Amino acid sequence: MTDIVQDRAGRSLQDRAVIAMVKFFRADWSGAFLAILILGIAIELATTGRPFFHPSNLMTILNNSAAIGVIAAGMTLVIITAGIDLSVGSVMGMTAALTGYVVSFWGFPPSLAILTGLTLGLAVGAFNGTLVAYFGMPAFIVTLAGLSIWRGTGHLTTGAQATPELPEAFNYFGRHNPFSGLREAYQNGELTGLWASIGGFVDANWVNFFRTFQMSMLIFVGFFVVLTIIIANTRYGRWVYAIGSNEPGARQAGINTARYMLITYMFCSFTAALGALLFLGRAPYAKSDYGQMWELDAIAAVVIGGTSLFGGRGSLWGTFMGVILLKLINNGLTLAQLDTFWQMVVTGMIILVAVGIDIVRQSKNPESVRKLLAAIAAVMAFLACMTPGAIYLRAKIALLEHHAADALRAAGQQLAPGQNARLLSPDEIAAFEAAASANITAALLLSLLVVAAGYVVFRGRPLFTWILAAGFVAMIAPLVALGYQITVPFLVLGAIVAFGSNFVFTIFAKARTLDVNAG
Amino acid sequence: MNLKLASVAVAALLIGSAANAQDVIGYITKSATNAGWMMINQGAEDAAAAEGVTLVAVGPAFQGDLSSQLEVFENLVAQGAKAIAVAPVDSAGIAPAVNDAMASGIPVIAVDTGVSGADVTSFVATDNYAVAKVQGAVAATLIEDGQPIIYVTGNQAQSTGQERRNGFIEAFTAARPNSEILEVPTEWNSQEAQEGVEAILNSRQDIAMVANAWDGGTMGAIAALRNLGYGAGDVKLVGFDGASDAIVAMREGWVHANTAQMLYQMGYQGIRAAAAAARGEAVSPRIDTGFFLVTPSTAAVYSAMVGID
Repeated sequence: MTDIVQDRAGRSLQDRAVIAMVKFFRADWSGAFLAILILGIAIELATTGRPFFHPSNLMTILNNSAAIGVIAAGMTLVIITAGIDLSVGSVMGMTAALTGYVVSFWGFPPSLAILTGLTLGLAVGAFNGTLVAYFGMPAFIVTLAGLSIWRGTGHLTTGAQATPELPEAFNYFGRHNPFSGLREAYQNGELTGLWASIGGFVDANWVNFFRTFQMSMLIFVGFFVVLTIIIANTRYGRWVYAIGSNEPGARQAGINTARYMLITYMFCSFTAALGALLFLGRAPYAKSDYGQMWELDAIAAVVIGGTSLFGGRGSLWGTFMGVILLKLINNGLTLAQLDTFWQMVVTGMIILVAVGIDIVRQSKNPESVRKLLAAIAAVMAFLACMTPGAIYLRAKIALLEHHAADALRAAGQQLAPGQNARLLSPDEIAAFEAAASANITAALLLSLLVVAAGYVVFRGRPLFTWILAAGFVAMIAPLVALGYQITVPFLVLGAIVAFGSNFVFTIFAKARTLDVNAG
Repeated sequence: MNLKLASVAVAALLIGSAANAQDVIGYITKSATNAGWMMINQGAEDAAAAEGVTLVAVGPAFQGDLSSQLEVFENLVAQGAKAIAVAPVDSAGIAPAVNDAMASGIPVIAVDTGVSGADVTSFVATDNYAVAKVQGAVAATLIEDGQPIIYVTGNQAQSTGQERRNGFIEAFTAARPNSEILEVPTEWNSQEAQEGVEAILNSRQDIAMVANAWDGGTMGAIAALRNLGYGAGDVKLVGFDGASDAIVAMREGWVHANTAQMLYQMGYQGIRAAAAAARGEAVSPRIDTGFFLVTPSTAAVYSAMVGID
């Protein structure tokens, strides 16, 4: 039946789907991209009001990713050469502070201040790079020392004081909106003909779309496009990979490895200085404590994007996705108004999922893929379970704490104010007992589903997997009846991945028979 | 045995020389680079000069780094500090070190943030909970009931952050029960505040006010408003701390109310209490350094008082 729809090469729709899938998973950025997609859908379901996937919200995420994003690009190249740069956050903070300082207190014109900042970045990079490439010092140590040195230098030179607001010129690296002039002219009635109608369109869609179309985002995306072209088409680009995968080999092949490593470190510190400018374009003032822990965020983005910490393999677009994923987590969880402490837990879990997908992707082993899908089903079952489960547990724990505190008091112990808070009034006790008994059935049923999904992770018998998928579907109706509509997306996704995990081997077998590169 | 004797002798020498010179007071601050903390630290230095004691001030490697605070604490005890004033980055985490010091007879003064799980000689701070209630009540008067607001929290793993949030929300919801409060969680990082406020403001057009648990958040919120093209006064802003940049922003029309802690006083009173305790004088176990409600009409008085020009 599937053969009815065929392309010119005579392949069925099904074959083309398999080829498309294989091609997708070959890309380094697919892990981060999938995590972005899953997270986005989850946040979409959890939030009300303007959709999460609204262009205006996506542009806000891009705007706020710009500063850390360009730094992560520099870090990607350093990591591809099998190096590391832990000093980027400090270099970013120092250049941001000094650029703001010279423009505010030394009367430098903005252009000269910007030039000073970028030059400073290159100089720090030359220092780091020389020590690593020509003196053979470990990059980890050199840049760890730099992390301390440059942060301290930034504090010392500026007295760790914030500058006043920076001149307008810095807005061109950040919040400046290319459409704002057009809109202003339209509002003042200065436009005629076609321009007037364009101006009217921009004005009418200002809040919905054009407001967040800002320089940060444009510079960010433009920077990645240009850098990707450079890396793909120059000798430098090829040699960065060569140095990372086999440095002695590269040297023997006649590549001046030391020089190219020096260039890479200089470029990385330069991106830190550029990131500082992008950050200043959106920040309230310049200050030397900007960029703390950014080195970790940048490294996380690079690794989430599928770049190997051992060098020689990775891509800039993967890093791009990694940065977006990190910023999207913050943005989405804030919009979803998730509890602060849960945000921390969820952030870590999402990073694990993204890197997990990447590792499974590289293993090219159908059993690992099946296990990953089953594990996702188990996580979905767990999330569904936690909805009634958390209420049950909280009620039970509150009651236990009350009884324990009560017993302590009866035994004549003095309780601190924080411990007295665990005592409950009779009304509260009744409410918690009611909550516990109302939720226990649902919690138990869903725990069963978690256990079943956990079993499937280790033993992937097709029949049992079918039953598991059916179990997810069967759970939907009773949970909706209990008033837990929020669990439906978890259950549906769980059913889909459980169902899909039975086809992993078929798809792999099919992919092997097809010539993917021909399509 | 000899070793033990030798170390006792060295310790005696050290203590002896310290007693001949000035008393050494250890001061473990939470940050050397935050604008508010710089005011507290200034107060501490001035008090040390007034009391004639030597102040050994040490800050953590980065804001919120508990392990470096614990290490510094042990070093100060080992160096024979006569009293230690500490602004804990983690109320419970610092407790074991405080217990050790108190047990060995060194008075410990907690500044700004309390210690939970250990007794201290004195706790010198604004009553964050009470001031946050004032902040919430004042904030409520700036908007109509039913208008949603954003609240930028501080670190919720710390008593300061918890008390400010609880106080604000309690007083605000009592006055404006139908207003939705959207929270932006931060760990006292103005970048987190800026990005969170920007995300919410961009997705909802009906936000009437942004209230902040500290003035770094206030400055981050102003940046977020500017990034989205809002002008001063389009969305109401309420701050906490009375930091100088927030007061300047109030003059420009961005900020509408600010509950100022008497930051300078906190450092000043903290070190005075530490010096008194080091001399063996009795010190009140709780010193409230008070607050000042800064509004556009009282801003001039406040600026003159704390020296913002």
